[in-house]
Amino acid sequence: MQDKLREIVRKMLSDGDIEYFVGYCQGSEAHRIVPCFVTEESEVEKLVWGPLCLQNLSKYVLRTRDLDGKVGVLVKGCDARALVELIKQHQLERDDFVVVGVACEGQVDPRKLERELGVPLEQVGGIEDGGDEFLVHVGEETRKVAKEAVLRDKCFFCKHPPSFDCDYTVGEPEPFTIESDRSEFAGVEELEELPLEERRAFWRKQFERCIRCNACREVCYACYCTECLFDRNVPRWLDRPPLLEENEIYHLIRAVHLAGRCIDCGECERVCPVGIPLSRLYKKVQKDIAELFDYQAGMELETVPPLVNFDLDDQDPFL
Amino acid sequence: MEKKKITKADVTRWLDQIAEKYELIGPTEDEDVVQFRPVNSGAELTLDYANSLIPPKSLFFPQVEGLFSFQKRGKEIELEEAGPLERDRVVVGIRKCDVESLSLLDRVFLDDVEDALYKERRERTALIALACPTPPRASCFCTSFGIDPLSPKGSDILLTDVGEVYLVDVVTEKGEQLVAVAESLFSKVTEKEAQDLQPPPVEMPELDLSELREKLETLWEDGYWEKLSLPCLGCGICTYVCPTCHCFDISDVGSETDGVRYRCWDSCMYNDFALMTSGVNPRPTKRERIRNRYFHKFSAFPSRYGTNYACVGCARCLVHCPGGVEITEVIKDILAKEGVSEG
Repeated sequence: MQDKLREIVRKMLSDGDIEYFVGYCQGSEAHRIVPCFVTEESEVEKLVWGPLCLQNLSKYVLRTRDLDGKVGVLVKGCDARALVELIKQHQLERDDFVVVGVACEGQVDPRKLERELGVPLEQVGGIEDGGDEFLVHVGEETRKVAKEAVLRDKCFFCKHPPSFDCDYTVGEPEPFTIESDRSEFAGVEELEELPLEERRAFWRKQFERCIRCNACREVCYACYCTECLFDRNVPRWLDRPPLLEENEIYHLIRAVHLAGRCIDCGECERVCPVGIPLSRLYKKVQKDIAELFDYQAGMELETVPPLVNFDLDDQDPFL
Repeated sequence: MEKKKITKADVTRWLDQIAEKYELIGPTEDEDVVQFRPVNSGAELTLDYANSLIPPKSLFFPQVEGLFSFQKRGKEIELEEAGPLERDRVVVGIRKCDVESLSLLDRVFLDDVEDALYKERRERTALIALACPTPPRASCFCTSFGIDPLSPKGSDILLTDVGEVYLVDVVTEKGEQLVAVAESLFSKVTEKEAQDLQPPPVEMPELDLSELREKLETLWEDGYWEKLSLPCLGCGICTYVCPTCHCFDISDVGSETDGVRYRCWDSCMYNDFALMTSGVNPRPTKRERIRNRYFHKFSAFPSRYGTNYACVGCARCLVHCPGGVEITEVIKDILAKEGVSEG
């Protein structure tokens, strides 16, 4: 698959179709795959693909707005949902960028993998797909790790936007499936059953350790505002010091702003250095939007997001 | 310098006794994250660890601290300054890179204008450092900056894990006082025994940084910074987990008549960091911001304070960068540059 990918990118660059391609390449340790920006044909060989290509690269496509040419990008099905939303939210035109869709067999959650292996990730020498399991090289050994144990949470409920056309495909991108008795909103339901005070206590414990590095915001495909309200000082919506009350407000405002737009890419939780289970918060927002409006973000280009929709016949008594 | 040893079980007892006299702070694990926190007993600590997420600089220069509170009544303004530390403090488990970072922060907060809060915390805190394990983490590169991860320099006591026991270097008078808290738990080691127990030097991949500054300073306009900035998301992780970053912002929380003036960490990676009231931003894009970070570490700080570099090779930024920017790769790229490219 890597060869096919490299071939496609090489051709796009030599034909002058794109200014650069955003894909993945190897970081300084085997387990660390990092985004890379390929401008020269000579760099194409750096491109890799595998179960540790975690980043949602769609965010990087926004830069195409500042360029004369196009950006090419490699997307997993889940990431394509961000592109659908960026078009729907009028941030990008479909013709602004070139999409290479890739067949994904599930992505590894590094924190789960480390726990499962019982050794630091830096000892992982490589990882390959093996159907229901991953083959993980640790030192001289190859250890078989069940996908069920180490997949990113979102991979259990993989969704692709069915109507989104990729310009190129590597493999046959289709939603990944795995046999599992997990239910998508179990984590939210568990919290919903708690009394209000306990629910609050749960989140306060999480937000207490937030260092407000803004990584969850910066990595979010939907945070494209030129000036974020959190950064405004006249008026000041949020105080700068990361005190608990401010952190709570920060996360709640983000969650509400993402209602109807969150595509469950899980990037906020992945990048959080202090391990706040943000996906659980955003799952709640997704669940509410699904229940109230029967809507899932990022699935079709044609439907109108519920929170920007206006209907004169709306019977909601609140209005 | 005197050498002693203490069994691992006795270290916990010793720390228990320290906790009775001092505020004891050390690495603890909660929700899979290791952080320095105050504890009441030695058993709460996680001494078998690589390093903390947030460096212990936060114990001297906290992410948030109230400088004073204010109350305005008519024309009268009452100010109440932050009080002194309640007790002297003992920080246990600090790694050598972080000890070294404090000597760099000392230059910022104690040279010229003294920062009273920082000064008090430094003077009233003893450091029980923990020598690094062999092998170290794969990403560590402190030796490139001439730091020896087994050296007691800068700490009051150094503990070296040699299996069943810790080898104990008592470095300063403060260190002697801490040993005196439970002298009977320690036993003397002869010079010969100490030599036998001492682990071999820690080996890690070393970068030759002798030409780094000179080379970097030719690259201000290089196209490299634009390319380097592409994966950068503009979050503040690299600066918040950095043991030598020290920029802060001051803001009032409360109302105009009643509130607290806080100092909290700021990050040069943020868009509004250099933004001026006029609306001018001298570092308008990520290119200028990321360039600033590396120039500050490897050129501006050394030039101002006459130090080697303002990085201690802890690799926290490398490990936690969500965009995959790796400082060791940046250094290698700079060193490999021949002339300036447009990019």
